[in-house]
Amino acid sequence: MAPSRATTRLATALLRQTTQPKLRRPSPSSTLPRTYHSYDHPPPPGVFSPAEKAILSAAYKHVPEHGFTQHALTLGARDAGYLDISTNLLPEGPFSLIRYHLVTKREALAPWAKAVFGEGEQGAAAAPLKVPEKVERLTWERLLSNAEVNHRWQEASPALAVMAQPSHIPASLQELALLADEIYFLSGDKSVDPSWYTKRGSLSVIYASSELFMTNDRSPGYGETRAFLQRRLDETSTVSGTLGSVAQWVGFTASAGLNVLRSKGIRI
Amino acid sequence: MSLPRIKTCAVRQTLQSPLRDFLLPALSQPTRRQFLSTTTKNNATVSSTPSPSTDPSRSQPKRKPLTQEQRDFLSSALRVNQAGELAATLIYTAQTPPLVNAHPHLRPLMAHMYAQEEGHFNTFNSLIAKHRVRPTALYPLWSVLATGLGWSTAVMGREAAMACTEAVETEIGDHYNNQIRTLLEMFEQWETEGYEVGKELQDLITTLRRIRDEELEHLDHAVDNDAKKAEPHWLLTGVIRLGCRGAIWVSERIEQTQITDL
Repeated sequence: MAPSRATTRLATALLRQTTQPKLRRPSPSSTLPRTYHSYDHPPPPGVFSPAEKAILSAAYKHVPEHGFTQHALTLGARDAGYLDISTNLLPEGPFSLIRYHLVTKREALAPWAKAVFGEGEQGAAAAPLKVPEKVERLTWERLLSNAEVNHRWQEASPALAVMAQPSHIPASLQELALLADEIYFLSGDKSVDPSWYTKRGSLSVIYASSELFMTNDRSPGYGETRAFLQRRLDETSTVSGTLGSVAQWVGFTASAGLNVLRSKGIRI
Repeated sequence: MSLPRIKTCAVRQTLQSPLRDFLLPALSQPTRRQFLSTTTKNNATVSSTPSPSTDPSRSQPKRKPLTQEQRDFLSSALRVNQAGELAATLIYTAQTPPLVNAHPHLRPLMAHMYAQEEGHFNTFNSLIAKHRVRPTALYPLWSVLATGLGWSTAVMGREAAMACTEAVETEIGDHYNNQIRTLLEMFEQWETEGYEVGKELQDLITTLRRIRDEELEHLDHAVDNDAKKAEPHWLLTGVIRLGCRGAIWVSERIEQTQITDL
């Protein structure tokens, strides 16, 4: 009996371990998953409260000089007219500054797309860009908006390392997923089959690797990063095109075979 | 109904040429060819542009932002409905060849039901794209299961195929009714608090009601076509209804938490 009791104890301990994070999950850092987007009801409140926004936007101006650090946050709080201690509002410290950067740059894409691509289907008549071209333009625009803080992304205060800390990985990945979703939505992609997942997944990988490439890019205007980005996107479209052709061939052959059997009188 | 069928049997005995499959439907088709439907399949379009913002005067009742819970409900509802209509189109696609082969007079009925299901599927696809809801992740699984269900019931015969339709549409009708009820409760709460219901959600409830009525119409067609005469009727419908409920449960509960965990 003893071993079985021990195993049940182990099992319950394991179970408790696996269920506990679930209880903690609705923390402020993991709000706003991708859900129903309403057009005629007002949007839900944003990720940051007004006070947080005030501090962060002021602190963000210090990032090119001081990096994504606690120091920049303190300076920002001072600029916004808060006490130094009020940076405690942001328990995640430098990560909330990084997150502010990610969120604001993502949200800036929508007005940019509206201005460049025109409004929906009506304005697009002048230069009807295809979805992959729009994806490329949007991804490049997003990468360019890193330019100001690019030297801080990896060097003195390694933003990438902060994002890779275990406690920050979920929020970072979620931001990445939201960015990929935003880019595909703004490009006017309407597919809702499994390619929805593969498109967003591959774009996330491409974006993350381009961002990494960019931190070491010294070419004028980040020309090499753009070439890198275009190569990766081309590769993906080649692979997905090949896979699509193979799938089409398999489907056609299967249905043709089935129809041959049916024409022979087999009742299937 | 009974007279043409007797005639059919007589013809079947005399006419033993391979041509009979082609001639029979023409001879034995006194029944209605058009199926009464309130709607055509083409009205399932969704305006892709956001509805013009309706705020000419600020004095109108305000609209409340959707809570997290309400947005979760709406996205899971759209996702489940997409999965359901995907399955429905595939069931009819898989059922049609064996069934129509054996019973050519069912061709217009199957085509009509398929066309409506396709319309529903397109409706939910465009709603999902418009409202930026994540589509169902188990797409391949639903495809395989639905095709298998449709094909195997069709091979079992006309009655089994119709029993399958009966079971599925019963569950789906209940499912849509539950969604409509939840939406109405939401509207009622807003209205008692003095808020207005957006046009978008009113359109959604109209769409859901129309689709529910069409699904229940399929149920009537299935029962008209001897669904109740399927051999172990209780077993067949019981198993299929259980499967439907399981699928709805899976896509409502499990799929909900999948990506937000990431």
